[in-house]
Amino acid sequence: MFGHAYLGVGAVVVCLLFYLAIAAQITQASYDISRLQDQQRQLLAEQDQLRYQEVTQHAPAQVQQQAAQSGMQRVVPSSYVQGQQVAVDLTAPVGASAADATPLWQRAVAAVLNQVAGTRDVMASTKK
Amino acid sequence: MLAIALVLAGAVWAKLAYWQVAKRGQLAAAAQQQYREYVPLPAIRGAIFDRNLTQLVVNTAVYSAFVSPDQISAGERDRVAGGLSSVLGVDKASVLATLSSRAKFAYIARRFSKAKADQLRALKLPGVGLLDETQRSYLPGATAGTTLAADLLGFANWDGNGQAGVEMKYQKSLAGTPGYISSYRDLANNEIVLGSHTHTDPVNGQDLVLSLDANVQYAAEQALADGIKKDNAESGSVLIMDPSTGGIVAWADYPSYNANDFNHTDPALFKDNVVSYLYEPGSVMKVVTLSGAINQGVIAPNTVINDPGVLSVGGYRIYDWDHANHGNIDYTYVLAHSLNVGAMKAMLAEGHDAFYKNLQAFGLTQPSGIDVAGESFVAPPSASQMADSQYATTSFGQGIDVNMVQMLAAVNVVANGGKYAPPHVVDRVGTQINPVLLQPQRQVVSPQTAAQMTAMMEQVVQKGSGSLARVPGFAKDETGKTGSSQIPVNGQYTSDVWTSYVGFLPAQHPRFTMLVVVRKPHYPGSDRDWTLNDGYLTAAPIWKTIAQNIVVSWHITPDPG
Repeated sequence: MFGHAYLGVGAVVVCLLFYLAIAAQITQASYDISRLQDQQRQLLAEQDQLRYQEVTQHAPAQVQQQAAQSGMQRVVPSSYVQGQQVAVDLTAPVGASAADATPLWQRAVAAVLNQVAGTRDVMASTKK
Repeated sequence: MLAIALVLAGAVWAKLAYWQVAKRGQLAAAAQQQYREYVPLPAIRGAIFDRNLTQLVVNTAVYSAFVSPDQISAGERDRVAGGLSSVLGVDKASVLATLSSRAKFAYIARRFSKAKADQLRALKLPGVGLLDETQRSYLPGATAGTTLAADLLGFANWDGNGQAGVEMKYQKSLAGTPGYISSYRDLANNEIVLGSHTHTDPVNGQDLVLSLDANVQYAAEQALADGIKKDNAESGSVLIMDPSTGGIVAWADYPSYNANDFNHTDPALFKDNVVSYLYEPGSVMKVVTLSGAINQGVIAPNTVINDPGVLSVGGYRIYDWDHANHGNIDYTYVLAHSLNVGAMKAMLAEGHDAFYKNLQAFGLTQPSGIDVAGESFVAPPSASQMADSQYATTSFGQGIDVNMVQMLAAVNVVANGGKYAPPHVVDRVGTQINPVLLQPQRQVVSPQTAAQMTAMMEQVVQKGSGSLARVPGFAKDETGKTGSSQIPVNGQYTSDVWTSYVGFLPAQHPRFTMLVVVRKPHYPGSDRDWTLNDGYLTAAPIWKTIAQNIVVSWHITPDPG
C-alpha cells in the first residue's frame, strides 16, 4: 500500500522536476531569443549607419570636396577645330592606278629599295 | 431563518451572475489586456535611388534616452546624471531635478546618434533606457545647410509620413504595411513561448528608382546657387529633362533646405518653386507659338513680315522689347531677337481657335501630372472668354500662368521630334516600370515642324539672344531661347521680372532639355537700366555652366557634320 504511494509520489516528483527543467530551459531560451533580437536590432542599426556613411562618401558633395582638396579641377569641354579638306584622295582605288605612267624599271627599283618616285597611291602605301 | 439564508444566498448568486454573465465580456477584455501583448512590427521604408542606382535616401536608427526615476536610488542619482550629461550634453542640474521627482518615466534626450547610444549603453546606468526609432537620412547638397534634391525628394517626418515631394507622392509605396506579434506575458513580463501566438510579417516599402542623375543634380544646384548670388536674385530653379522619355534628370531650387533637419526649417522653404510656383514664361512661349503656326502651315521660318516695333491689338499698343522698327524680317529673325510683334502676327495668322488648341496640345492648359506632390495649376480662361489682347500677350508668354514642369515639357516637344513626353520623376517602383513610360507619346507637331523649330532655335544661340549660353564645342550644335516677363502685383506689372532660358543639346540628337528660371534678379547696373534683368544675362550663363557639366559627365559629343 505504502509502496504504491511512494511510487506514486516519486513519479509525481519526477514529473515535477522534469517540468521544472523544461520550464527553466524554455525560460532560458526566451531570454536568449530576446538577447539575440536585441543584438540583431543593434547590428541592423549599425549596418544602416555604415550604409549611410558609404553612400555619403560617394555623394557628389563629398567627391567634389575631396577632389578640391587634392587640387583637381573639372575640365571644360574643349572647343573643336572645324574640319578641313584632306589632301589625300580617299576615293582613289587602292594600289597603282591603271594610268600609272611610272617606268617599270623605276617600280622595280622602288620595290627593292622602298623608294618613292611615283603616284600618290604608291606614296600612301610606302609611307611609314 | 431559512428565508434570510435564502435571501443572502440569492444575493450572492445574483452578484455572481452579474459578474460572470453580464460583465463577462468586459472582465475578459480587461484580463486579456493584462497578459496579452501586442507588438507592432514596423515595415522598413523603401529606399530611393537615382538612375545610376546611387542611393539618395537611407534609413538610419536614432535613439531616445529615458529615465525611470523611481528605480534610481538617491545615492546613484549623481552618477546617473553625470553620465547622461557627459554623453548627451544635457544640463546635469536639470537631469538631477528630474531624477529627484520620483516620476515613473521622463525623456532626457530625443533622436540622437547611434554612437552616443553606444557610449550610454557602455556606462550601464541604472534606471536609464534607450528607445530606437528610424529616421530618413538624405545626402548633403551643393550648398551648406542643404541636402541633395531636397525640394524634389521632400522628407518623411518622425512618424514616417512623407511630407513633400516624392516622399509624399509615393507614401503608400514607400511606407509598406506594418505587421504585428500578439502573444502572452507572465507576471514577470516574460513572453510565454508556449502561449498562443498571432504573427503577421510586415511588408516592407518598395524602393524607388528615379530618372534623376545625382551628379547632374549636384552640378545644377551648385551653378544655380552661384548664378542667383551673382544676379542678386530672390530665388531660382533649374529643371532638366530627358527629351525622349520625359524623365527628370535634375530638379534644383535655390534657396533650398536641409531635409535632415526639417523640424528646424522655415516652412516657407518647403514650397517647391519648380512645381508649386506659377510664373509667366515670357518669350520662351514664342517657341510654342511659332511651332504651332508653322505646323498649321500659315508661316514658315523664312516667311517675311514687317515689324514696325509695335502692334495695336484689342485697343492696346503692344511693343517689341526694344521699341525699335525692325522693318522686313523673317520668323527666324523674330525668334532669334525675341520680337513680340512677330509672335503676335504668327498667332493672328494662325487664328485664335487654332492658337488655343495649340496651347492645349503643348500641355499648357492642364496640369503636367508629374509624380511629385504639390503641383500648382491655374486653368486659363476658355477660348471664347479670352480677350483679343490676352491672345496677343499669351503669344509671347505674358498673361498666362504656368509652372516650370509644364513649360519645359512643352518646349521638349521640339526636342522630341514633335512628340509630348509626359514628365515624370520615378522610373521604377520596386520592380515595376512606371506605366507612363510604356504609353505611346502624343504627336503634337510634325517631325518636320520640330526640325524647322530646332533650326530656328539654333539661330538664337548662334546669332541671337542665346550667345551667352554657348557651350564650347557645341556653339553650332545647341538650341536655346531666352525669356523675360514682368511680375504682376495687384493687377499691375512691376519692374521686377522672371527671367528664363530654355534649350537642348546636341540640337539634332538631344540628350537633355533644360529650363532655368531666375526670380527677381537685380543684375549689376540694373538700377540704372532695368532691362539688364534679362534671361540673356541672368539665366543663360547658369544654363551654360550646367550644360558644360553634363557634356563632360555624360561624354556628349557634337553631332557630326
